[in-house]
Amino acid sequence: MLRRARATLGLLLGPLIAAGCAESNGCEGDWCGTAVIVGADADVLFPPTMQGDVANAIVDLVFLKLADIGADLNTLGDAGFEPRLARSWTFEDSVTIRFQLDPRARWHDGRPVTASDVEFTFEIYRDTLVNSPQRPMLDRIAAVTAADSLSVVFRFDRFYPEQFFDAVHHMRILPRHWLDTIPRRELAAHPFTRNPVGNGPYRLVRWNRGESIELAGDSTFFLGRPGLRRIIWQVVADPGVGITRLVAGEADVLNFIGTPENLARVRQAPHLRTVSYRSNQYAYIGFNFRNPARQREPHPIFAERDLRRALSMAVDRAAVVDAVLGELGTVLEGPITSFMWIWSDTLKALPFDSARARRTLEQLGWIDRDGDGVRERGGLKLAFELLVPTTSQLRRRAAVIVQEQLRRVGAAMSINELDWSTFLSRAAAGQFDAIFGAWALDPSPRQLRQYWGSPGIGGFNYQKYRSPEFDRLVERASATGDRAQALELWHRAIGVITQDAPAIWIYAPRPVAAVHRRFENVTIRSDQWAATLWTWRVSPDNLLPRDRIAVH
Amino acid sequence: MIAFVTRRLAQALLIALGVVTLTFILLHAAPGDPFAAAAESPYLSPQAIEQARRNYGLDRPLWVQYLRYVGNLARGDMGVSFSLHRPVSEALLDALPNTLLLAAAALILDFGLGITVGTLQGMRAGTRLDRTLSIVTLALFSTPVFWLGLMLLLVFSQTLGLFPVGGVTDPVLYPSLSPLGKLLDRLWHLCLPAWTLGLVGAAGTARYQRAAILEVVRQDFIRAARARGLSERAVAMRHALRNALLPTITLFGLTFPVLLSGAVLVETVFSWPGMGKLTVDAVLRRDYPLVLGATVLAALMVVLGNLLADLAYRVADPRTREER
Repeated sequence: MLRRARATLGLLLGPLIAAGCAESNGCEGDWCGTAVIVGADADVLFPPTMQGDVANAIVDLVFLKLADIGADLNTLGDAGFEPRLARSWTFEDSVTIRFQLDPRARWHDGRPVTASDVEFTFEIYRDTLVNSPQRPMLDRIAAVTAADSLSVVFRFDRFYPEQFFDAVHHMRILPRHWLDTIPRRELAAHPFTRNPVGNGPYRLVRWNRGESIELAGDSTFFLGRPGLRRIIWQVVADPGVGITRLVAGEADVLNFIGTPENLARVRQAPHLRTVSYRSNQYAYIGFNFRNPARQREPHPIFAERDLRRALSMAVDRAAVVDAVLGELGTVLEGPITSFMWIWSDTLKALPFDSARARRTLEQLGWIDRDGDGVRERGGLKLAFELLVPTTSQLRRRAAVIVQEQLRRVGAAMSINELDWSTFLSRAAAGQFDAIFGAWALDPSPRQLRQYWGSPGIGGFNYQKYRSPEFDRLVERASATGDRAQALELWHRAIGVITQDAPAIWIYAPRPVAAVHRRFENVTIRSDQWAATLWTWRVSPDNLLPRDRIAVH
Repeated sequence: MIAFVTRRLAQALLIALGVVTLTFILLHAAPGDPFAAAAESPYLSPQAIEQARRNYGLDRPLWVQYLRYVGNLARGDMGVSFSLHRPVSEALLDALPNTLLLAAAALILDFGLGITVGTLQGMRAGTRLDRTLSIVTLALFSTPVFWLGLMLLLVFSQTLGLFPVGGVTDPVLYPSLSPLGKLLDRLWHLCLPAWTLGLVGAAGTARYQRAAILEVVRQDFIRAARARGLSERAVAMRHALRNALLPTITLFGLTFPVLLSGAVLVETVFSWPGMGKLTVDAVLRRDYPLVLGATVLAALMVVLGNLLADLAYRVADPRTREER
């Protein structure tokens, strides 16, 4: 019956649909390969204003930086950085870097990439009308000047060890000849942002909104022909649907499997394999240091350091990770993850010790006098509300487990699930007792300032945690060029914050990608998973029919 | 007829203005910030969020924003989407054909299947066939549309491999297909979402149609037709069905908004890039211009759907023409 149904449908549709596929055997020599990647849709494909992960991945293939961070994600000096549009660079003095552009670099319309493009790119990224999210990260660059057609000079307002990282990491170079006549106010919504002309290993072929984004390899790419001829992002509304497509053989890659259920489905598919990489994301339960009703006053519960430490020790984070993520997560030991160069497995958060947590609470005067299971002190119950975004299934699950663990030591945590936008608004306004937050990091440890330091209060330091010792150590570490010394200072800073317990450090997801087995040379960089996608390839022996279809 | 249509179109504009005003107030009253939605990312800073608010005029008083929006809308400018960084009209025009295609296919299935089954049941009321179909239609009518979609996906896509898992076209093959191939590819991708939406609707329509037929078959003119020796098929098709269609035509006008709202879930399950998905995402991101644009468009579509139903009613029932 089933065979007959399939045959009937195949007979009806197969020849008709394939009637248009006369050119399906369109491989040129040994250059074949199509990767179908499932994911969300992009917002824009304009490097200064794009924000989503998909846009980031695509832009990584279409636009190059002057140099790219190495596999070890070092951000001090220029160690490990690989040449891209810049063939070489020299440090002329403590505040000046001169880049020499590769004369072979071309835009996809055939024009050469010049120093004038780099100068123009800096102007665009710094323009308030364009309002690039990266603009504040370029604050310390005083000027970018084209010295001649192929050399460009970056001047900084002062010396600091991550100058080179800031010069090359945040900006992807843009074509002046396409953009300089467009009024800056109109640039963010200009058609170029949806149909860009780049300089990378792939060019954009088409973007069918909500459906797919297709890239074609540039066979003349100056750093070598990309391994795959065609890359297609297929838009799926839901990761579960993406997994179904992978399992059904309709797609090849999903960069973040996400849940143990999805991992189990992938493992059952013999044509798929998994590739792990290091996480740049973490999730934490942050305590508000200020009273949400009267923000000039300290929080009635969480202002007390020992109370926060007791609550932290009451949570068995390993059990939470095990229940929610299984092998797809690790216990978080502080406000950084293993993908940063400053990470060390010697860093440890407060251990799980519920007996000690109970003792501490009693010593602090939090005692359950009325026998309702919730401790109180001076008429105040040890009860608070945790905000959780409805968009995060993992955080919602973890919150319930933490709630139960806290209940066992006499703390009542209610869970308030809010939609994403409301969650962030309340977090930014300080209208919360505790939030189940998460951060995705870039490779620079300086971000600790904005997320947990005093300079971040009023910004992303939603908890309003303030520690002069932590701030001082972060400033010193950021200013230290010596790697060993900087590492020691960063570890001391992290030691201060983990002991202060402004948050319970819950988990870092362990990213695992699902990849079709026919791909070779598969590597994934932890900060930008698609950065090395252009080096993947398919052996001629393993080609599928879709690998042979020409780009139209 | 022209005066009637003109009057209804003028009413449609007033309704659209009311919808814009109400949506504008509700959107701004709802908690949440359109530019905070990308936070938790290393690519955003508080300064950038503030600058974006200024660039899009959200730092101005609410009444200024409202008057500016309505003024621009009157000139056909729906603004620029905060989240997609493109004109709202372009984003809607991209999504609208997909929604209309899905809704049209679902409507055809809904009414084609619903009227057929309902008429069959009505003409054979009380038989085993009628009872069986009643149970089936009741079950289908009670089925959540997203669940039905997932089940159809599980059976026909993942298990049997007969249909694609989702999407509008095959992104690998489609660009290289002939025009006929492209058409077939689209239809192939349309099948499961249209059946999902159409089946649930058809179950409801069948129950309406059955009741309408039962009402009509008791009338004298049906008895007279049978007395004249007409076959049951002729009685059903020529006399009962035509008269029983009037309530179903009313249902058509009511079905259109239901299809639009049902399409949100179907579009999500089948990754179908239509208006529903676009609107829900826009609401979640507090993308004010896109939500307002989509709401205006949806309101106009609903009004037009009702207008079409009224016109069809006037065609089917001459008495309504005289009354007006």
